[in-house]
Amino acid sequence: MLAAMKNRKSILELGIHFDHIRQKTWTVLNPMKPADGSIINETDLTGPILFCIALEATLLLAGKVQFGYVYGMSAIGCLVIHALLNLMSSSGVSYGCVASVLGYCLLPMVILSGCAMFFSLQGTFGTVSSLVIIGWCSLSASKIFIAALHMEGQQLLVAYPCALLYGLFALLTIF
Amino acid sequence: MASADELTFHEFEEATNLLAETPDAATTSRSDQLTPQGHVAVAVGSGGSYGAEDEVEEESDKAALLQEKQQQQQPGFWTFSYYQSFFDVDTSQVLNRIKGSLLPRPGHNFVRHHLRNRPDLYGPFWICATLAFVLAVTGNLTLVLAQRRDPSIHYSPQFHKVTVAGISIYCYAWLVPLALWGFLRWRKGVRERMGPYTFLETVCVYGYSLFVFIPMVVLWLIPVPWLQWLFGALALGLSATGLVFTLWPVVREDTRLVAMVLLSAVVLLHALLAVGCKLYFFQSLPPEKVAPPPQITSLPSNIPLPPTLPQSMAPS
Repeated sequence: MLAAMKNRKSILELGIHFDHIRQKTWTVLNPMKPADGSIINETDLTGPILFCIALEATLLLAGKVQFGYVYGMSAIGCLVIHALLNLMSSSGVSYGCVASVLGYCLLPMVILSGCAMFFSLQGTFGTVSSLVIIGWCSLSASKIFIAALHMEGQQLLVAYPCALLYGLFALLTIF
Repeated sequence: MASADELTFHEFEEATNLLAETPDAATTSRSDQLTPQGHVAVAVGSGGSYGAEDEVEEESDKAALLQEKQQQQQPGFWTFSYYQSFFDVDTSQVLNRIKGSLLPRPGHNFVRHHLRNRPDLYGPFWICATLAFVLAVTGNLTLVLAQRRDPSIHYSPQFHKVTVAGISIYCYAWLVPLALWGFLRWRKGVRERMGPYTFLETVCVYGYSLFVFIPMVVLWLIPVPWLQWLFGALALGLSATGLVFTLWPVVREDTRLVAMVLLSAVVLLHALLAVGCKLYFFQSLPPEKVAPPPQITSLPSNIPLPPTLPQSMAPS
């Protein structure tokens, strides 16, 4: 009992708040719900790393050994979106924040690659579902960025580069 | 939001006309028209970056702010904040500029009418990125579809096409405007009335003119050769027309020879780009010389099988 409490305390000291992770996950899973800008400002990479590992696990179970591509594309994509957001918003944004948001919004892509384990996505249904998932990911990501950085009227402009990045991930999942 | 933008611009044109006739009347008409428009902006909700201020009494503050901004607007091109001013665009402005490049009209100069001397770098950069991405993806997709129809062709994903597409599109979209801008500035002495465009305005014009190639490349997936050439000709015509209409006011005061040579060079380079893309990205793979046995071609390509590796590496 004491050991469990000690473990919980040390996890909290690391800065991992489970209810924040859960809140952010629900924000991503529900793209129609408006995002709360304040929770985004903490740079929390636990969730994103978990989702990356889940994505790679599902890809592995589907028979594709491509860890290098996942990490490489995430790093370059984060850099590009970080540069773009700093140029477009009046307040700057840190790299960790961008990586955190993009990682959280990778969750629907994990669902897509989970489906790829059971049936091939190289058909009409696969194309349509991957387009829907890409739209879902990029809308969530842009919604969170807009709320956190107070950018008005630029949601589609932010969503489009995110859609290109998630499109690359979807290509990795399908082919 | 687009309608509020249109209202703002028409207002400025009226104001400049009025200023030409009676300088005193200009200020009252501006402030009178500002109030209802300010209410319109509030009702719409989020304002664009050109949106007029809501309260009339802030007009003097706005003038002071503008002066300050102009004084502060001297950061060098090596600083980050210099480039920030070129990304200060709205979704509606970008969509408006794309629409303007898709439908060139003889009277409307793209730079004066749509850019309003405020070029942005968002449009050209992402249109080039999309075009490179779409070229690489459709280039690979045509090979996949060709393989489905004719199993003797062996397909392997050609990732080098992504790099080739990226480099060629970006070089075209940046080096050709650089050359054009340099040439126009060199001929500046001949022209009295209209100054040349700035470098970024030229880049903007070229970037937005490449937008029409994106649906053209997607339509090139249809494997009917005469249809592909038809789409190519249509898109090239639209794009080149837009470029010519934009460049014509600047070039028409020059000698006829220089004007004709310049415009035909611009159209020729554009045509070379389109034809080059078609020939490089959409060429069909030759059928494999040693036809592999049927059970190997039916396996999915992503599971590596050591004995077939030398055969599968041969055509790529």
